[in-house]
Parts: sequence; structure tokens; C-alpha cells
Amino acid sequence: MKSISSRLRPHVGRRRLRALASNQSAILVGVLIVLIGVFSALEPKFFSVATAGNILTDWGSVVLIAVGMTYVIISGGIDLSVGAVVGLSSVTAAWTMATVLGVGQDVQGSAAYGTMLVGAVVSVSVGALVGLINAFLINKLHIAPFIATLATMGACLGFSVIISTGMPIGSANDFSLIAPIDSSYVPFSWAVVAVIMVVTILGFFLHKARFGLYTYAVGSNAFATRVAGINVERQRTKVYVLSGALAGLAGMYVYIRLGAGSPSSGNGRELDAIAAAVIGGVALSGGVGTILGTVLGTLILFTVQSGLIMVGLAPDWKKVVVAVLIAAAVGAQSLRRGGGSQP
Amino acid sequence: MKRSFKLFAVAGAAAILALTTGCSSTDNSETAETSAAESEATVEGDPISIAFLMGAEADPFFQAMKVGAEEEAAALGVELIWQGDPAQYSPETQIPIVDAVLALNPTGLVLIPTDPKALQASVDKAVAAGIIVVNVDTRVDDLSNVLTFITGDNQDGGAKAADALAGKIGYAEGQSYQVVVGSSSPTATTNQARLEGFTNRIAEMYPGIEIVDVAYSESNPEKASTNVNNWLTKYPDLSGIFAIDGTNASGASAAIEAKGLKDKIALVGYDAYPDNVAKIKSGLITALIAQDPAAEARLAIQAIVNKVKDGVDPESREVVIPNVILDSSTSDADLKTYTYVAN
Repeated sequence: MKSISSRLRPHVGRRRLRALASNQSAILVGVLIVLIGVFSALEPKFFSVATAGNILTDWGSVVLIAVGMTYVIISGGIDLSVGAVVGLSSVTAAWTMATVLGVGQDVQGSAAYGTMLVGAVVSVSVGALVGLINAFLINKLHIAPFIATLATMGACLGFSVIISTGMPIGSANDFSLIAPIDSSYVPFSWAVVAVIMVVTILGFFLHKARFGLYTYAVGSNAFATRVAGINVERQRTKVYVLSGALAGLAGMYVYIRLGAGSPSSGNGRELDAIAAAVIGGVALSGGVGTILGTVLGTLILFTVQSGLIMVGLAPDWKKVVVAVLIAAAVGAQSLRRGGGSQP
Repeated sequence: MKRSFKLFAVAGAAAILALTTGCSSTDNSETAETSAAESEATVEGDPISIAFLMGAEADPFFQAMKVGAEEEAAALGVELIWQGDPAQYSPETQIPIVDAVLALNPTGLVLIPTDPKALQASVDKAVAAGIIVVNVDTRVDDLSNVLTFITGDNQDGGAKAADALAGKIGYAEGQSYQVVVGSSSPTATTNQARLEGFTNRIAEMYPGIEIVDVAYSESNPEKASTNVNNWLTKYPDLSGIFAIDGTNASGASAAIEAKGLKDKIALVGYDAYPDNVAKIKSGLITALIAQDPAAEARLAIQAIVNKVKDGVDPESREVVIPNVILDSSTSDADLKTYTYVAN
């Protein structure tokens, strides 16, 4: 039952298949389809608009920090502080709205927008500031990114508990921003639409603009980049500030989702972001990776999470499945790079 | 230029050196004076110092406990030494802190042991040094040398949650209902005890209620919200949710609010975070099981003071403080009393 073209030109067909197999994004889409198929077979309710909505709601916060992480890893670094920044920025935004502006939880719907805008500015600024501190530690004090961002992670966790005394702070919110636009047909919310726009712009910046080119250059060969006359330190600073600001934006997203800023709302998210980027084909050695890969990697992560809850498997299995996916993704990369000769 | 800079640096260093040595010598003499004064006073038998060693400063539960401890200590003229790890609830971090505090030789020690076995040696050491020991919230295995053990009752809290949930659902014999439990950790003893109390009560009193799933959020409210989103998709006829702690109550209530199911799902939570108490009023949370950490702290300090001043042993070696149910029928004054506060 072969199609005519493939019967006539079998070699071309095979070559196309091979090209497809070496395309990371195509593989990821394939994995996603298999996952959806398996989960739908095990639990028919999984194949629904509502589930898509649930997955996209989870995707929205983590894809923001995963995209920031993608920039940082491509530039040859790592940013462990982003999870803690989500908590700190959401708490600081909530504290500003509730304590400084004195707006309570009773302000809901469109009346909340003014207050929430202030919260968003605070949230993103806090994130950018932490990014600036990370860049300072790495550029000026020459601390390895892993250690520098581990230190700021601890400081952010501490500050978020100090500001909130460990409790969530509620203030003005519009929950309809996080609810699906139409519960029968359109599974995503306006908040997710905003995230998609931000991610698209950042994809353009990485792949089509000079900013992206410099980021790849710094991560591929910092020395050669410096010789070529590019200010490596300045580029690094921009990348860490971007990562911090995106974590701040994720903090505001989580605030909208919960209607409150909570110090523990970013717990463990840095590892989710790294996992998503790696599954998406970003190489920890720097210089390699795409935004599309990370977007799909994050989607796979939360499809697995939703699927396991829907099927009724203990969430501990998520860790196992994600571990297998990471091993498969990294294994596939090194095989493609040349027979897996690298240890 | 260079030489003058060096000169400045040397002069500056010398000045700093002089200042620090000067300071430290005054410090020394001061300490000597105070310790002399203290020992004199102890001979007179007057000032009592109580070391209060809690689990983790970041936990709102201990923040509320601190308020009670400080009030009671001030009222009774007792010196309070409040100590504990800022964020980690673990014996590894607690034992060194206990050792350090025992070196101050306080009159009494109020200990929240983070492990019943690991902290036993510290309690024995304190008792051997003539320090009066009280356990609060959790206990060491051997209570024979402990003046009294004051605790909340997590099993009872779980049972009360079952009653509140059944009441809100409008439980009737012969009908069947589905409920789920949002927990933080499968290993935390408080979570286990609450779940056990809840499950037993349901089995005993409400055979028509089926607990269809239990999922864990790792104390992250966003993950708690994810769990609830997926449950609401999988179980369209879900009647109620038991959120086993404060972060789960935050995440669950946000998910219900975003999905517009406020009047369809009964939500019973735990812990009186101010933000969640406000949601009782708006009808989003049916009831909260509140503990009374401040009362636990007050009783502990009273017990030590009575023992030291009058040689009176407490009436009971084990005091269980009942949980309080906060719901729409609770008076504003009571809501205010039981809401966890921090300073």
C-alpha cells in the first residue's frame, strides 16, 4: 500500500525519514503524540479540552523560566536561582499590592487591573535585580555560575520568608485571566496567550537577532568571541537579567493563578526548567539549543504530570518518567553528534 | 599616587584593627559583668530564662507559636531565648542548636523535637544538667524525664475535617460521594496522622464517601492547584476536597475559584493562614481546622515557671489541645483569635 512517489523513489523517502529523525523538534512532537495516545488509552477523559487547559495552565509559568534558562545555558552558564525568584517576586508583588497600596482580596475582576499592573512591574523588577546580582557575582567576582546562583537562590528563599512570614499574601486579582477563554472550545487562558507572545518574541530574539547570535557565540567559545570584539561580560549580564526578569514574570503569573503571593510557590521549579530545556535539546556545555525545543520540552513535562495524575499513578512516577526522557534526549544528542564518542 | 594609596590602606587597616580590638575588649568586660550579675541573681532565685527551640522559623505554625511564647514570657517576667533553624525542619540542623543553647544554662528548655529518637540524647543531657524540659507539638520517645508534653491532635483534626466535609456535602445514607485529599508529603508525620484520622472517620461514619485519590504537592501551592485542576477534569462529580495543610488549601481554593466551581465543591482545609481565613467569609473554603500554637507555647512556659517558683508539677504529663473548627458560623472575634499571626 505504498504511495506512488515512495514506490518510485524509495531512497528519497528513506532520506527524508532520516532527516526527520535527526530533527529534535520533530522527535519531541512525536514523543508528545505517543504520550497523549498512551494516557488517552489508559484514561479516556485525558483526551479533552479541559486537560489541554490544565496542561497549558501549568506550562505557562514554567515555560517562562525555561526560556530564560535556555538563554543562560546557551551562553554557557546555569541559573539555579529562578525557582526562588518566582517565590520572592510573587511575594514582593503581593506585599506591595496588599501592604503598600493597601488593596485587599475583595478587589476582584477588572477593578484589580491597576493594582495588578503595579504588582507586575515590582515582580519583574525584583527578578531583573536578582539577575543583575547574579551577573555581578559571575563577571566581577568570577564565581562559577552554579555557585553564584546557588547563593542567590538561598538569599531569595530567605527574603521571601522574611517578607511574608511564611504565609501567602492575598490581594487584588482577576481569576478570569487564568481560566480558559472558552471552556468548550478554547483551552487556554489570556495569561497563557500573553506567555505565548513573550515566548515568541524571545524566540525571534534568539534565532533572528544579533542578541541571539552573541548569546550562542559566548557559549560556544567565549575567548574567540572576545577576540572578535564582542563584550562577553555585557552579553552575560544581559542574559542573566533576562532570565531573572522572566522568573519575575513567572512570579506574577503564579500570583494571578493563586490570587496570592506565596514564598514556596517556586519550590523546585529551577529543576523543572533545566529538565525542560535539556529534553528540548539544549546542551549544558553551551552554544546549542532552540526555543521551540524548550517550549516542547516543557509541554512534555506537564503532559506527563497531568497524565500521571489522571491515570492515578503516584506522582513519584513523574520523576522516573522525566529521568528516562532526559536520558533519552541527551543520549540522542550525543549519538547525533558522532557516535557518542564523548563521555 | 600609588604610595599614598598604600599609606591610606595601611592606616585604614590599623584603624579598623584598633577599633575591633577596642570593641572586643569592652565586650569582654561587659559579658563578665553580666554573667556575674546573673549568677548573683540566680543565687537569689529570681530571673528565669527559658530556651524555646522550635522546628523551622519559616513555618507559619511556629510564627504563631512565637507570638504566644513572647507574650507569656513578658507577662511572667521570664527571659525568652527563641531559637531554631530558619527553614529546615530536621534533626541535623536542630541538634547543634540545642547544644549551643544548653551551654547558656537556661532554667528551662521548651523543645519541639524534630525527631523522636535523634533528640532523645539532647533531652537527657539537659535533664542531667538540671534543666527543666518540656516537649511541645512533637515528642521524644522517652517522656519519663520530661515535665510535660503539650500537643495538638492531628488525628482528631483529620476526623473533624471529615465531619465538616460530610456536613457541607449534605451526606445522606445510601448516596455515594467522591472526595480527594491534597497532601504535601507522604512521609511527614503530621500529614500522615491527619490523613489517617480523616480516612478512619470516613470509613466509620460515612461509608458512602469514597476517597478516590490522594496526591502530594511538596508544599508548593501551584502544584497543589495542578492536582486539583486534574481531579476536577477526571472526576466531574467530585463532591469535596480535604486540603491537609495551609499551602494545599491555598492552591485548591485558587483552582476552584478559577474554574468557577465555588458553590459546587466543598473544600475543608487546615491551618488558619490569614489569607485562607478570609476565604471562609467569601464561601470558597467551607471550614479550616485550626490548631492553637500560641496556647501550646503559653502552657509550656507556665508549666516551667510554676515548677521553678512553686515546685508545682503540671496536672497532666500529656496535654492535648483540641483543634478548633473555623467556618461560616464562627464569630469574628474567634476568627481573629485563632488566625495565625506573626510579628
